[in-house]
Amino acid sequence: MHISEGVLSPPVLVAGAALTAVGVAMGLKKMDNEKIPQVAVLTAAFFVASLIRVPVGPSAVHLVLNGLLGLVLGWAAFPAILVGLALQALLFQFGGLTTLGVNTFIMAMPAILCYYLFGRSITSKNTGMATAMAFSCGFLAILLSSLLLAISLIFTGESFVQAAKVLVLAHLPVMLLEGLIVALCLAFLTKVKPELLGVTHAAG
Amino acid sequence: MLRDSYLRLTRVAVLLLALVITTFLTLPSRVWAHKVNVFAWVEGDMIFVEGYFPGGKKAQNSLVEVYNGAGAKLLEGRTNQKGEFSFEIPAREDLRIVLTAGMGHKNDFTIPAADLGGSKTSAQAPVVETSETVAPLPSTTVDMSKLEVMIDEALDRKLQPVIKLIRSTRKEGPGLTEIIGGIGYIFGLFGLLMYFKSRNRNR
Repeated sequence: MHISEGVLSPPVLVAGAALTAVGVAMGLKKMDNEKIPQVAVLTAAFFVASLIRVPVGPSAVHLVLNGLLGLVLGWAAFPAILVGLALQALLFQFGGLTTLGVNTFIMAMPAILCYYLFGRSITSKNTGMATAMAFSCGFLAILLSSLLLAISLIFTGESFVQAAKVLVLAHLPVMLLEGLIVALCLAFLTKVKPELLGVTHAAG
Repeated sequence: MLRDSYLRLTRVAVLLLALVITTFLTLPSRVWAHKVNVFAWVEGDMIFVEGYFPGGKKAQNSLVEVYNGAGAKLLEGRTNQKGEFSFEIPAREDLRIVLTAGMGHKNDFTIPAADLGGSKTSAQAPVVETSETVAPLPSTTVDMSKLEVMIDEALDRKLQPVIKLIRSTRKEGPGLTEIIGGIGYIFGLFGLLMYFKSRNRNR
């Protein structure tokens, strides 16, 4: 999910940075004091998540958690993902500083979409319904990110259909895993801290 | 009732896990790695390039391009099944080796001219001088250029384990220090944000 330096052309980089700037501004505007600790914790989770490589077969899965961030944070997912990616780029050399804007957009935009699509239905009284929605949220966030990634690679000479096919297929396990994780987190949160989900709605 | 739904959930989870594993067994690794690493070293007249992802997975069939200091492309090729590519030293100047693994992964490695060994011309000039000064002892005079080649070969052999060690240590992912440091940065940053926001409110 992290595009390296020097892969994309300047127009794509600038477009990504501009879109991210708008998203971050929105996020900061909607972030009130009570929400900051939440954002901090989820940023930390996001930062660490892509390090946790669950070895499966000859390779490894790494989590993104953008669906979870979107669901809990709403627009604040933009600044959260930006900070997480910036630190990953600086400390781990994942992605790069010039591609920060594009990478943030690729992971944060689906988070926001999921927030609007599923934000309300996950608080449904019907547990089965809520779980299904949470799973779809985690699943869809990665799917959309893969597609956005494929789109941004069009201009590098990779054919979109080919790149999208490979990327979506490759991320299928991550989608399933993230769906499960979001569903589990939601079940946990509704039991332990339901106001976390409720409060976000009022704020967002 | 509750236990039933948990059982069902476990069954679904196991099924998903099985699906995950099978997908991973059948797909190339380059797509979901965070970054690709490239490492190059010199052995005699050859330069060896190796591409790999964090965790040590090889970057197979990746494009390798070699540029000189001025930015002109000298040669290109593709890594083999072991993620390696080798070529004869094209020019004794700074070489930039760029590896493109596709799907947004790219990295480069620079070999400074100094690492490529003395160029043949500059190395031979002083050799002639020394052989002249040592001339009074003809019995010990050795063909200096031959000696140099022998030393180079011996060094390559002796350095083999060191190069191997460097290659293997470079494969490790980020350490605990970076991870903890990063989390510290995050909390510090948001703490700062909170501080400024609360100051504004109090005013």
